[in-house]
Amino acid sequence: MIRLKNLRKNYQTAAGVVKALDSIDLEIKKGEFIVLRGPSGSGKTTLLMALAGMQRPTSGSIYISKENIYQMTIPARAKFRAENIGFVFQMFHLVPYLNVIENVALARGALSSALDKPGAKELLRSFGMEHRIFHKPAQLSAGEKQRTAIARALFNHPQIILADEPTGNLDPENALAVLGYLTDFQSAGGTVIIATHQPVAKEMADRIISLNAGRIRDES
Amino acid sequence: MTMVTLIFKEILHRKVNFLLSVLAVITAAALFVVFFTTGEASDRETKRIMRDMGFNLRIIPEKTDMYTFWSTGYSEFTMDKEYVDRFAKLKGFSYTHLVATLQKKTRWQGMDVILTGMLPEVLPLDKRLQKPMTFSVKKGNVYLGFQLAQNLGIKKGDQIDVLGKSLKVKECLSQSGNNDDIRIYGHLEDIQDILNLPGQINEIKALECLCLIESSKVENDMLTVASRELAQVLPNAKVVLIKSIAEVRQKQRAMMQAYLGLIIPFVVVVCGAWIAVLTMINTRKRRQEVGLMRALGYNAGRIGLLFLGKSVVIGLLGAVAGFIAGTALALYFGPDIFKVTAKALKPEYILLKWSLIVAPVFAAVSSFIPVTIAIGRDPADTLREQ
Repeated sequence: MIRLKNLRKNYQTAAGVVKALDSIDLEIKKGEFIVLRGPSGSGKTTLLMALAGMQRPTSGSIYISKENIYQMTIPARAKFRAENIGFVFQMFHLVPYLNVIENVALARGALSSALDKPGAKELLRSFGMEHRIFHKPAQLSAGEKQRTAIARALFNHPQIILADEPTGNLDPENALAVLGYLTDFQSAGGTVIIATHQPVAKEMADRIISLNAGRIRDES
Repeated sequence: MTMVTLIFKEILHRKVNFLLSVLAVITAAALFVVFFTTGEASDRETKRIMRDMGFNLRIIPEKTDMYTFWSTGYSEFTMDKEYVDRFAKLKGFSYTHLVATLQKKTRWQGMDVILTGMLPEVLPLDKRLQKPMTFSVKKGNVYLGFQLAQNLGIKKGDQIDVLGKSLKVKECLSQSGNNDDIRIYGHLEDIQDILNLPGQINEIKALECLCLIESSKVENDMLTVASRELAQVLPNAKVVLIKSIAEVRQKQRAMMQAYLGLIIPFVVVVCGAWIAVLTMINTRKRRQEVGLMRALGYNAGRIGLLFLGKSVVIGLLGAVAGFIAGTALALYFGPDIFKVTAKALKPEYILLKWSLIVAPVFAAVSSFIPVTIAIGRDPADTLREQ
């Protein structure tokens, strides 16, 4: 279970303090599929980054499986993230000099010195990417890049997938496929928190949380 | 796939950056290798030059009173001209220039002049192609010192009478600023005729003279060694050592060492900055990758290892290539610079060992600050930059 208590994140800018997250209280059960919605600048990405342990909040706390992640040391939090959280980005963030299988196996490198390529191959087969495993990201379509990124996010068998606009650069067909993979992950017991504007995501969501100006405006 | 594989894959992906970084290390390493490879030869050569300079000899008649010699600049006694040939044939001595002169101060046209008779310079057999250090005067000709020519209004081509001998002025010399300005230089035999000293000379200058006997002796002993050796073949002569030139050379050597002492650290700092800038460019290009790795749970130490590991690879490759380049340069150009001690030039494999230790550390230290900045960036901020 994930619990956010009075979470605040402020940014200091030249124009003054910007409240990216403002008094967020939220509980997410294990196995839930949460869709975050809201206009640009509403705090969706900041919330996902904070949940991933990559952006320390100004105040408040985040508990994941009863662990206050920001009370951990930085190396402990990195290890916790590698073991428990998979992140999917809108821009894929594949390493350009590694091929598909190596990009997926890269996730394992955070946990061990050797990268598990056979395991990555198995996973990629389930994503229909077995014919592309030795291709570099520059040789892939957007949909293939995102499938690779999702495979990477899933490779360490995380409990939680955080996805920030994962379908933002995809055509409707590929967007649907990506959401399908995330639904499969949820079906297998994983928790999915996704920021997306895809209308179809509503149908998959257990809950839809609308953010505006860093606050939760609506929850359905 | 390991971290090492990741390092090499990135290197292959960004070859230009890698090659430029390696080039920086090669430059620094090659400079060091050239400097130290030639160091031994340079040291020996310098010692040899110093010793040779110590053997810039003036051989004068044995009876010469040294007080008078230093006050007049020449010996009032003479010795047989044949001494030049004896010296030239002497085994155990080598030289680059041998000049026999007969000098005497006299009055001419109401002025004090130094009549200076010169034999054409004797050059060793193996150095006949080299340029003589002094001019030579043909019989019947004279070279007139600047002051004499100016005071007496004598011009090139004039026929002059020197104490009863008619001679043609071949050249009027430019101002020298010493007593050469009141000299009349003529062929040795002409001056011998004028001074009525046939077959006589009063000095032999042996320049860059090298004693091959007891060469292990230090330079301070050389005057003794030279005097003893020469006494056997030139019994009525004695030897004076010209030290002033050696001292000038020593100063020049010290200046060169100080100059290199400045240049080398400068080159090393420039190469270090070069690597730092390239690393900065590289880490900037890889910001997303760093952010991603942080997001995947890699700790800062492991990410830093990727960059510093690359620096180590750059350092190792640069060390080997720098050693090869530096050694090749030293062996190719060294013999032209260090002619006497060229045999001392050989690959110094200990420098390879030191290069392999120092160059990776150098590259890693140069990369440290840009890598630390890259890793220290908030991954969330990095990943937002899309």
